Amino acid sequence: MIKSTAKKIYLFLIFVLLYAPIITLMVLSFNNTKTRSKWNGFTGKWYLQLFQNKDIMNALYTTLIIAFLSALIATLIGTAAALGIQAMRTKARTLLLGVTNIPMLNADIVTGISLMLLFIACRFTLGFSTILLAHITFNIPYVILSVMPKLKQTSKRTYEAALDLGASPSYAFRKVVLPDIMPGIFSGFLLAFTMSLDDFVITHFTKGPGIDTLSTKIYSEVRKGIKPEMYALSTIMFLTVLILLFLVNMTPDDPKVKKAAVHAPAGKFRKFSRFFFHRFAPAAIMLVIVIGGFVYGSSSGNMSGEKVIVYNWGDYIDPEIITMFEDETGIDVVYEEYETNEIMYPKVQSGAIAYDVVCPSDYMVQRMIENDLLAEINYENVPNLKYIDDIYMEMSKQYDPENKYSVPYLWGTVGILYNKKMVDEPVDSWNILWDEKYTDSILMQDSVRDAFAVALKSLGYSLNSTDLDELEAAKKLLIKQKPLVQAYVIDQVRDKMIGNEAALGVIYSGEALYCQKENPDLEYVIPKEGSNLWIDALVIPKNAQNKKNAEAFINYLCRPDIAKMNFDYITYSIPNSAGRELIEDESMRESNIAFPDISQLKNCETFNFLGDENEIIYNQLWREIKSK
Amino acid sequence: MKNRKILAGPYLFWAMSFIIIPLLMILYYGLTDKNGSFTLNNLSQMTTPENLKALGLALLLSFISTLICLVLAYPLAMILAEKNMNQTSFIVLIFILPMWMNFLLRTLAWQTLLEKNGVINSILNFLHLPEQSIINTPSAIVLGMVYNFLPFMVLPIYNVLSKIDKDVIHAARDLGANTAQTFFKIIMPLSIPGIISGITMVFVPSLTTFVISDLLGGSKILLIGNVIEQEFKQGSNWNVGSGLSLVLMLFIIASMALIAKYDKNGEGNTF
Repeated sequence: MIKSTAKKIYLFLIFVLLYAPIITLMVLSFNNTKTRSKWNGFTGKWYLQLFQNKDIMNALYTTLIIAFLSALIATLIGTAAALGIQAMRTKARTLLLGVTNIPMLNADIVTGISLMLLFIACRFTLGFSTILLAHITFNIPYVILSVMPKLKQTSKRTYEAALDLGASPSYAFRKVVLPDIMPGIFSGFLLAFTMSLDDFVITHFTKGPGIDTLSTKIYSEVRKGIKPEMYALSTIMFLTVLILLFLVNMTPDDPKVKKAAVHAPAGKFRKFSRFFFHRFAPAAIMLVIVIGGFVYGSSSGNMSGEKVIVYNWGDYIDPEIITMFEDETGIDVVYEEYETNEIMYPKVQSGAIAYDVVCPSDYMVQRMIENDLLAEINYENVPNLKYIDDIYMEMSKQYDPENKYSVPYLWGTVGILYNKKMVDEPVDSWNILWDEKYTDSILMQDSVRDAFAVALKSLGYSLNSTDLDELEAAKKLLIKQKPLVQAYVIDQVRDKMIGNEAALGVIYSGEALYCQKENPDLEYVIPKEGSNLWIDALVIPKNAQNKKNAEAFINYLCRPDIAKMNFDYITYSIPNSAGRELIEDESMRESNIAFPDISQLKNCETFNFLGDENEIIYNQLWREIKSK
Repeated sequence: MKNRKILAGPYLFWAMSFIIIPLLMILYYGLTDKNGSFTLNNLSQMTTPENLKALGLALLLSFISTLICLVLAYPLAMILAEKNMNQTSFIVLIFILPMWMNFLLRTLAWQTLLEKNGVINSILNFLHLPEQSIINTPSAIVLGMVYNFLPFMVLPIYNVLSKIDKDVIHAARDLGANTAQTFFKIIMPLSIPGIISGITMVFVPSLTTFVISDLLGGSKILLIGNVIEQEFKQGSNWNVGSGLSLVLMLFIIASMALIAKYDKNGEGNTF
């Protein structure tokens, strides 16, 4: 008795472990706030908004279509392979089964990388088809391993008997072998479908721009906070499958019942209900999902064929603007996002994907100009440039001396965001980030230059220092700081500061404004030692395929009303006075954080590109810090 | 029956193009430099202090999580095998169903659970127990690994246990063995193929993950998977990335050899 209770408790605990996160996600899908870290009352609005979110719906259907197609093709190839392998001699069979085991046992990261190398070597454009090929590849083994055991159980004799009785081989196969292995094929298909659905790593390496499965979409959202619609979608998917399984298992499976049912008067109905629940309902739901996917997929394409591929920072534009641009110009926008300049640069440099518009920061613009990656912008196609204030065009000469390659997009400062309830002393210096009082309550930026800028500035050096001793000192300082740091993050500072998870965080001014709106206890300060004054600018890479469209897009973003929409949405400072005048909220329009007087920011510097050599030194030092 | 072998043709072609050749590509990249000439430098990159540390930490964490998985999974598999519940419904419940909630979201949910003001600490607070702060530490990563890979340990062990002939156990009991003896002399040795298969199914993905350490480690903790991912996605040094992957492959090949030795007949297959 005690033993069986103990067993039950044990089972229960394991299920708690496995299902706790799932319950959490379901609860979050009803949470009336965007941040993950606090409960703000019950709402069903995310479920409504989900169906209007084009991005998520696109990702959902890409995911489902890839899962369906890859599982289907893998089932065909895999079942045929299992039949063939079974007929082979032992040696060949062992060898082939060994190869089959490779994708299952191999690390996902190695499989993903190897396929990526292959696709790039074969000059396949990374996109839908490469993801599909990769998914078929890792799905086939699951099918083979599901079908093989069933094949082993089938008796050769029955098949031979059928042949003796005059059946053609294909007829005998259909009537004798196939029914026996059908359950194996079916479970192989289901397994393959699920595996494809849940895969992230391999998709991450084999996908191209503008295409996202749910996994990769979620991964790109991790840094800036997951959209609550995503929780809603997951909950729907989970519950759909749960209900499906429930329906399948609810039908009378007991053989006695079945027998009785056939003879009983209600037998026909039972038979029908069995058919309905077992075959029809699941098949119908699958069909709706898949056909819906194809219809949706084909309807969202633009007929004109004109497009522009934009590569921008995460969450750095009001999505409404993209839709408006598409409607007004008929140009399709393929939109992709990155988290740091350092992630963006190699992608553009490798030329594997020809982006049309990219939005690097100041020093990165300089680096791209020096390495001859940028095309000169034809300003005749960008008449709205007149709305950009002269002072910013002047500032941009620091990295683009002749104003030939770039158009300022947004700008701001870097400073400390702190929680007035957790920090009682005045904050005016970077040094507070080394105060042991705040151990585990400090958030640092997870990018090389930003992290080093903090250390260099607090030591009184320039944030463009290339002096090895100064850098070494900065490194030591950052290593000393590491035990105090709760996490190195990028856009997550936002969520964590709003959720009172940390007392102090290094943050961009635009994010600071957003945080203050959500949590009035937060205050932003630019430390007295000085900081970084940055500009993110729009540029066109040299290998752009749609330069005209790129210029049209840049021109569109310079329009005052569009700039104003952007400010309202992401609260980053716009270099566009005409746009600023349009901001309705006076506290925002006159905000000291959004629009500081640039002449007052004496100690602030703009990042310069320090040359590839120094770049390597910075990266090396950063890696040493991270691995300490 | 002879021409049935032809049916494996498409697969053979597929396996050649998308399994074998890609691995050879890694080999090629791993052993050449940017100009395409032969070098061993990429492999020796593994011995720099930072990479060695990342590898060591990855080995340590994946070892711990494999051990925890084994300890948790074995009793679970035994209970389930005893109950003789319908195998498919059980697989679905612990394995398939959770997968319909995305793997990244499920792992991310642990952040909400583990954070300082998170769910678990709120419960602990309510019970007047001391707060735990394990988010952004190696412990959180281990938890994430155990959570994600536990089913891969349970399933093979369960499959082997449920196939053990009950008569063998009865015979042992009849001959006077007590519970412990029956377990150590009969059940455990017979379940070795499942254990080995489970260990590799947990160890290899834990060793090479970069997502779990990314999501639950606060980017403070670099595992070897993170290093490789960064070489490819950020550093753009594919040769070094491939070289490091080759070193990792050694561990994977070792696991495959282990399986080949102990699980010749594929009894411990996960599915």
